[in-house]
Amino acid sequence: MIKDVALPPLQIAQEPSGLTLLAIQRRAVPLFHVRLSVPAGAAEDPRGKAGLAQFTADLLRRGTMRRDARGVDELIESMGTGLGIEVSLDEAALTLTVPSDLSVRALDALLEVALEPSFPDEEVASARRRTLASLQSDLDEPSSVAARAVVTLGYGAHHPYGHPAHGFRRDVETFQREDALGFHASRFNARGALLAVVGTAPPEQLLDLARERLAQVRWPSEARRAPLDFAALPREGMRALVWHKPDSTQAQLRIVATGIPRRSPLYMPAVVENTALGGGFTSLLVDAIRVDRGLSYSVSTRLAMARHAGLSVFSSFTKNETLRELVDVALEKMRGYARTGPSKDALEKARSYLAGLFPLGLESNEALAEQVADAILDGLGLDHLATYRSRIAAVTAAQARQAAEQLSPARDGTQIVVVGDGEVGRKALTDICPVDVRPIEDLA
Amino acid sequence: MALDPRDFPVQEHVLANGLQVRLLPDRGLPIATLYSFFRVGSRNERPGITGISHLFEHMMFNGSKKYGPKEFDRRLESAGGTSNAYTSTDVTAYYEDFAAEALPLVLDLESDRMASLNIDDDSLQREREVVKEERRFRTDNDLDGMMDEALSALAFQAHPYRWPVVGWMSDLNRITRQDCERYFRTYYAPNNCTVLLVGDFDADHALKRIETLYGAIARGDPLPEVADGEPPQKGERRAVIHYPAQAPALLAGFRTPNGRQADSLVLDLIEASLSYGEGARLKRALVYEQELCVDANVYFGWRMDPGLFQISLKLNPGVDPARAESALWAELARVADQPMAEAELQRAKNFVRSGLLRGLQTANGRAHTLGQMEVMLGSWRAFLDLPDRYQAVTPADVQRVAKSTFAPHRRNLVTLVPGELPEGVAA
Repeated sequence: MIKDVALPPLQIAQEPSGLTLLAIQRRAVPLFHVRLSVPAGAAEDPRGKAGLAQFTADLLRRGTMRRDARGVDELIESMGTGLGIEVSLDEAALTLTVPSDLSVRALDALLEVALEPSFPDEEVASARRRTLASLQSDLDEPSSVAARAVVTLGYGAHHPYGHPAHGFRRDVETFQREDALGFHASRFNARGALLAVVGTAPPEQLLDLARERLAQVRWPSEARRAPLDFAALPREGMRALVWHKPDSTQAQLRIVATGIPRRSPLYMPAVVENTALGGGFTSLLVDAIRVDRGLSYSVSTRLAMARHAGLSVFSSFTKNETLRELVDVALEKMRGYARTGPSKDALEKARSYLAGLFPLGLESNEALAEQVADAILDGLGLDHLATYRSRIAAVTAAQARQAAEQLSPARDGTQIVVVGDGEVGRKALTDICPVDVRPIEDLA
Repeated sequence: MALDPRDFPVQEHVLANGLQVRLLPDRGLPIATLYSFFRVGSRNERPGITGISHLFEHMMFNGSKKYGPKEFDRRLESAGGTSNAYTSTDVTAYYEDFAAEALPLVLDLESDRMASLNIDDDSLQREREVVKEERRFRTDNDLDGMMDEALSALAFQAHPYRWPVVGWMSDLNRITRQDCERYFRTYYAPNNCTVLLVGDFDADHALKRIETLYGAIARGDPLPEVADGEPPQKGERRAVIHYPAQAPALLAGFRTPNGRQADSLVLDLIEASLSYGEGARLKRALVYEQELCVDANVYFGWRMDPGLFQISLKLNPGVDPARAESALWAELARVADQPMAEAELQRAKNFVRSGLLRGLQTANGRAHTLGQMEVMLGSWRAFLDLPDRYQAVTPADVQRVAKSTFAPHRRNLVTLVPGELPEGVAA
C-alpha cells in the first residue's frame, strides 16, 4: 500500500494587505526560488483586448521606475538566471531561481519588476510589434495553431477563458501604454496574490526575509472590476473546423468537449479515468491508435482544469491518408469508454500509476512552489497534496465510470479541430458532422 | 567553486561482463530513477540503415522473453512508474521514474530486455509506421526540423553526423528485422552500457539484485569503428529551403571540437553569452534593438566526435534574410575581435553554474547528469570539477575560440525562404 507523502516544512501566513505568504524549506540543493502569483491571468483580459494580460506581464521587464530594460536585464541576469513569466488563464506568475546566497537580491529584483514597472512608450510600441510578429510566426507551428483553436472553440468566444493568452492580432494592434498601466494598476494587487519562497533556511526565517523585503515596496491599489461570468453555453451536435495549412503531409487532430474546474468533486475520479483513457503509455487510446495500428506517434487525452472551468481534450496527429481512420478509431473508442468506464485492471493500473508518480511533481523547488501555491489559490488546501495518494487509491469503479461518461471528449457538443491541408480535412470529416474550412491566418 | 563530493556518495561497480553500475541513494522522497545509457547513436549507422538507432529504441518496448508484447509499460505503470527513452547522435538512453517499491520490478524489466529482446516482423512494421509519423511531425512538417536536417547534411560530408537521427524516410522503409537483430547483438551488450540508479533504495540490496539479474548476460564483441574521416572545411557552404511559411528563418552552424576538448567549455560560455536570458548579445541586438527576429537561439551540445555550434534566427515577417545574416556575422565578429568584459563573462559562468545546480534537483536530473558525464567524459566525477573549470575560462580564451570557430570560411548557413514548394517537389 502506497503511503501519503509528507510535505516538507512549510508555513503559510495571511498578511494584513491581503497577500498570502508561503515559505517552504528544502535542503537538497543550495538554491532559492521565489514565485509571485497575481490574479492577472488571461481571463482578466478586457473585452476587445485579448492578450493584454500577457502583453502587460511581458512588459514588466522592459523598464522600472529605477532602471531601463537593459538595467533590468543586468539586475536579474547577472545572478545567472532568467526571469520566468507565465500567464495562465487565472494567474500571472513571475519566478526566479538563484543560488541560496543570492536570495535577498532575487527577492528585491522580482518585487521591483512586478510592482514598479514604468511601461515606457517606446517599449510599449516595440513590444506591440514583437507580439504581432510572434503571432504570425506561431502560425508555422501546427501544434501551436491547434492549441489556440482548442481554447477558442472549447470555451467559446463569450467565455473569459475563450481566447489564447497571447491574444489576437486585431486586439494587440490596439494596445497602448494606458492599457498596460491600467491593467497593472487594477490587477497586480496584494489581495489575491501569493508570494512563495523556497530555500534551505527554516520556514520562519524565510517568512521574515520575505516580509523584510516586502516592506521596501508598495502595491498598486486600484479597485478590481466586477467578477467575471464563467458560465458555459450549452452546445448540441458536433461540428468540425479545419484550419488550412498548405502543403501539410500530416494533420493535427483535437477533439474538444467541456471539462471541469479544479475544485470539482469529480477531480479524483476524473484524473483516474482520464489516465486510463489517454494518459501514460498503456492507455486504451495509446493501445488502439499507436500500438495496435501504428497510426500516430503521439496520442493523449487531457483534462485542462482551470479555477472556474475546464476542457476535456483528445490530441493526436497522423498522415493525411489516415486522418479519417484516426478520427473513427478515436470516436469509437471514446464513445465505448464513456459507456463502460475503465476495466478493473485499467482502473488499478491508473491508480497505481498516479500514486507512484505523484512525488515527482514535488521534487524541484519550482514544482513544489507551484503545486502548493496552486492548491492554496484554487481553494483546495494543503490536504489536496498531503492526501493525494490515498484519495487516488480510494477512487471506485463506479466513480470512474460516472466521470468517464460525464467527461468523454466524444459527446454531444464536441468540437473537432484539424490543422493541416484543408481539402484533406474536409474529405475526412464531411460525413461525420458539418465542416468549416478556414485559412490558418484567421487564427492569428 | 567545485561541487562537494560528499554530496554525491556514488557507489561504482563494474560487473564481470563489463556492465558499469553507479548507485546514488537519496532517501528524500519515496521515488527512484534508473537510467541505462547505451553508447550507440546515429554515429554508429551507415547509409541505407540511417535511423536504425532511433527505430531500435522503439523496438525495445515490444517484449522480451519473460515479459511479452505490451507488458513492459503495463507492468511498470501498474507498479507506479513511467518510462521513456531518447536517441541522439551519440547515445541511446532509457529511463524509468518510479515509486521506490517498484525497484525489483524495474530491474527485472530492464535486465530481461537486455538479455532477451523479442524482435519480430509485425512489431517492426508497426514501429516503422510510428517512427515515420514521428518524422513527419518533427521534420517534414516542422520548419526547425527541416532546417536542422539540411544543416547537418551541409556541415558534414563524410561523418555520420551528416544524416538525421530519425533517419531518411527511404531508409526507414528499408530497415529489416535482420538489421535490427544485428544491431541489438552488437550495441546492446552489457559492456556497452552504464546503468545509474538514483533515489530511495538500499545500495547493498540493489547491487545484489543487479548482479543477479544482469550478471549472466554475455559480454558482446568489440564495437565496430565509427566511419569518421571528415575533411576540413575550406569555404562557406549554403543551402536554401523554399517552403510555405509565414516568415523567413536562418540556421547557421560552425564545426567544433568534440565534447572532451577543453574548448567545449569555452563554447558553452559563448553560447550563454549569446543567447541565455533577454540581455544576451543576440537577443539584445537582433530581437530588441534591430527588431530583425522574433527569437534568436544557440544550441551547442557536447558530442563524441567534432560537432556543431548552431545559431537559429526566426526572422520577423518581411525581414530580408541578407540583412539578418549580416547582423549575425557582425555579432559573432564582435565576440572574436573584442575581449569580453569580465562582468559579461561572469554572467555567462553564473548561468552555466545555475543550470548545473538546477539539473540536480530531481532524481532523474541527477541520474541523467551523471550518466552523461560517464559516457561523454569517461567518469561521473568529471562533473565535480566542472564549476571550477568554467570559472577558469578567461576573456582571452573566449576570443581565441570565437576567432577559430566563427571564421568566415567555416560558416554553414541554411536559409528558409517563404513561398511555394519548387515545381515538381511533392509535399
